[in-house]
Amino acid sequence: MNTILHLTYSSIKMFVRNKQALFFTLISPLIIMGIFGLLAFDRVPQVDLGVAVTAPPNAGTEAFLEQLKSVPAFNVQVGTETVEREAIKEGERAAVLVIPGNFFPENGKPTGEGMIILINSSQPQQSSTAVSIVNQILDKTTLAATGAPPLFNVRTEDVSSRNFKYIDFLVPGIVALSIMQMSVFSVAFIFADYKEKGVLKRLLATPMKPYEFVTANVITRLIVSVIQAAFLIGVGVLVFKAQVIGSYFLLIPIVVLGAIMFLGMGFTISGFANTVETVPAIANLIVFPMLFLGGTFFPIDTMPTWLQHVANYLPLTYLSTAMREVMLNGATFSEIQSNIWWMLAWAVALVAAANFSFSMEEKRQ
Amino acid sequence: MNNIIEVKNLTKTYGDFTAVDNISFAVRQGETFGILGPNGAGKTTTLEMIEGLKSMTSGEVMLDGNDVRTEAREVKAKIGVQLQSSSFFDGLNLLELVETFASLYGRKVDAMSLLEQVQLTDKARSKAKELSGGQKQRLSIAVALVNDPKVIFLDEPTTGLDPQARHNLWDLVKQIKALGKTVVLTTHYMEEAEILCDRIAIMDHARIVAMDTTVNLLRQSGVASAIAFRPSREIDPAQLQTLPGVDKSAASGGEYRLSCTNVTAAMPALFQRLRELNVEVKDLKVTEPTLEDVFLALTGHELRD
Repeated sequence: MNTILHLTYSSIKMFVRNKQALFFTLISPLIIMGIFGLLAFDRVPQVDLGVAVTAPPNAGTEAFLEQLKSVPAFNVQVGTETVEREAIKEGERAAVLVIPGNFFPENGKPTGEGMIILINSSQPQQSSTAVSIVNQILDKTTLAATGAPPLFNVRTEDVSSRNFKYIDFLVPGIVALSIMQMSVFSVAFIFADYKEKGVLKRLLATPMKPYEFVTANVITRLIVSVIQAAFLIGVGVLVFKAQVIGSYFLLIPIVVLGAIMFLGMGFTISGFANTVETVPAIANLIVFPMLFLGGTFFPIDTMPTWLQHVANYLPLTYLSTAMREVMLNGATFSEIQSNIWWMLAWAVALVAAANFSFSMEEKRQ
Repeated sequence: MNNIIEVKNLTKTYGDFTAVDNISFAVRQGETFGILGPNGAGKTTTLEMIEGLKSMTSGEVMLDGNDVRTEAREVKAKIGVQLQSSSFFDGLNLLELVETFASLYGRKVDAMSLLEQVQLTDKARSKAKELSGGQKQRLSIAVALVNDPKVIFLDEPTTGLDPQARHNLWDLVKQIKALGKTVVLTTHYMEEAEILCDRIAIMDHARIVAMDTTVNLLRQSGVASAIAFRPSREIDPAQLQTLPGVDKSAASGGEYRLSCTNVTAAMPALFQRLRELNVEVKDLKVTEPTLEDVFLALTGHELRD
């Protein structure tokens, strides 16, 4: 027991002194969070609307222009017809309204000339939004002018709902991803290095039992994974204003179980790798696809169905889903238990694989 | 004297390749035992099987009453090991390394005094990777001493070191020997074996070809002492062959070489004969047989090829 304690103490010292490990554990996930957080995929872009009035506008037309400018979804640019036609060709406008000065009838007489809406067909969503909003405004104006009572009564009601932002989705994913990276790489590299340089052999020349050394290294990384998760969630909440609804305490066993699963993967890789150089090749082959398929940056249900079948069973998916369910939806243990069982199954399988890869190594001696 | 290590019919094969072929020997308590041989002779494999690091294909090794096969942990607790190419954790300084290794034996040690023993106190707070080759080997020895072992194994401790570092390490091995510890070392340097070892086993192609005290090996090998010189003018080597104590004589490239059964008798007779022939000599030297010659005589090939 004392041996494990002392080894853990030494192993923590070594981890903390390893600047590279610290960078990849804490700083690089932060950079990823910063970049994707600032990209803010969830902000609806404004529709660029060009307006060209061909003659001095009358009062009605003037009022219509003001109304257009007050629509929050529009970014209205006023210019001459030539300039605006050019701009839409360049793709800088989703739609351009070419409005004659006497577009609005004066004194109720329908003498108004027609308006032309130019549509940018390469931005179909934005341009159709523009057209429907313009039509809506005109319909209302018509109703008001004819004095007919509205047939339908529509009220909007403001409900302060939990308004999910992309960052809320992102933070649990980044935490899961970082735990995977830390667990897989820190173990795979260091143990392949120990193996290659003969450190493990030297340790085996002492009465120490191999499991004692492995346990010390695992404990170290479990502590690191909890600190790492706390740090990243802390920055996510305080700096990026991410929301956390569920229990922080439920996150701890999820993080630890996730780390055990990926530590097993790291040990397996270091067992099969004969040199340190082969570690990134094997590790990236496994880790890289999970980066995109494990539900870190994009929801899995946006993927093609066949890919979802793969993505749904990846170890990273179970970890990021469990984290997200707790952080975003306030899920309780029983609500995420299928994820937990799957993570346990992966952990058992990967630890067995690690055992196998090191027993192969032993046989070669 | 008690045998602290007994090796019986030890064999290690990898597929068709036999690395160690049915060797037997014993090491006595307190002696320094050398295993001498060229690279690939099976020295390291032999050592690592005794240390419990490699499995044996067949045979038996007893160390201080423990069977290495079944009581490897007991054996490991009693020995100190310096591996041929061991390295240590990069993230710890020497003091921390020594303390960490002591903890593997469930011990607490005065790390500083151990480092003092191997003259590394000024490097106590450095990392192992910052040490020179000689310093690394000394650290290795300090770490091998953390458990106050009965037997210490040194696998080619001076390979790759410069002459000064090598002499330094020899002094250290002599110190360890003076502490009463049994030392088992492998080397492919004859000089090292002659200087450090009480007894030597010569290994070649997975077998032990000779084993005796260093002195006896030199004496019994049949390799003779020799007198070599350059005469001032050419003479017939046959004229020297009949001298007392001389076995054979030969000349090549102006250098004459007499193999002697008795140098003490041959020397005055040689001078006498040369005076009669009115020949002066230059570059006179007497060469004693070395383990190098012994090895050549035993195996028919040079130690280093």
